[in-house]
Amino acid sequence: MARRKPAGRRPQRYKDVTHGRTGRGDAFRCVGCRLDVPLLAPGTAHRNHCPHCLTSLHLDRRVPGDRAADCRGRMSVLSMSVRADGEWQLIHQCQSCGALGANRIAGDDNPLALIRLAMRPLTDPTRPIRALLTL
Amino acid sequence: MSTGNPNSGKQHTVPPRTDTFDCVRCGLTVTTVDPAGGRRNHCPSCLHSRHVLDRVEGGPSECMARMSPISIAVLRSGDWMIVHRCIRCDELTSNTIAPDDNQLILIRMAVRPLAQPPFPLEVFGEW
Repeated sequence: MARRKPAGRRPQRYKDVTHGRTGRGDAFRCVGCRLDVPLLAPGTAHRNHCPHCLTSLHLDRRVPGDRAADCRGRMSVLSMSVRADGEWQLIHQCQSCGALGANRIAGDDNPLALIRLAMRPLTDPTRPIRALLTL
Repeated sequence: MSTGNPNSGKQHTVPPRTDTFDCVRCGLTVTTVDPAGGRRNHCPSCLHSRHVLDRVEGGPSECMARMSPISIAVLRSGDWMIVHRCIRCDELTSNTIAPDDNQLILIRMAVRPLAQPPFPLEVFGEW
């Protein structure tokens, strides 16, 4: 089942981040697994997390791309959310200050990591999930 | 500042056990203390909340809009958190769930990603 872009959606916000100051203009290095990640991603213009381990970095404050946060902490992935149009979103939480952030998944994100994250509430052994699913 | 849960360090004044608030969405009158003795901030019936605390700047927020639940997070300790998003200013908050929260809505949020997967799930059946 291919994911089709539905018509009439708001276009993505223009992102005017100067990546050139860090020396590497077209890539960032993941803080979790040290993978070199290119900024160009299929399906999104706002890639902020590693496609392999889904870890991000706390750089933006309120507006995507404003680089106003002075925390620079590691943001590990917390949960999976779904938009009203069916798009998956990752919820990140900063490990040093506890802030939360949401970001759409990219086309090359690790499917196994995404599925494990989405299945996390359903595989919790402390809850009678099977009984609740029959409701 | 190194604790995982930023809500844990906050000092709330202990409210009387008879305090109530009205849910902004369904109008249910909710006690502020849940059966486990914790303080709750969302309606146990529809799980909606109200945006009263500003997490980015800190302190109270003047937004006061409704916050809708968007996802379920499972912590390493096994606790479930519910992530709320403000419908007016799009801020995210996370709160622990109460024992009497609506399990149907919780499970519905948990299975919602699997209803419309962005890639076929058949290949994962072999693993």
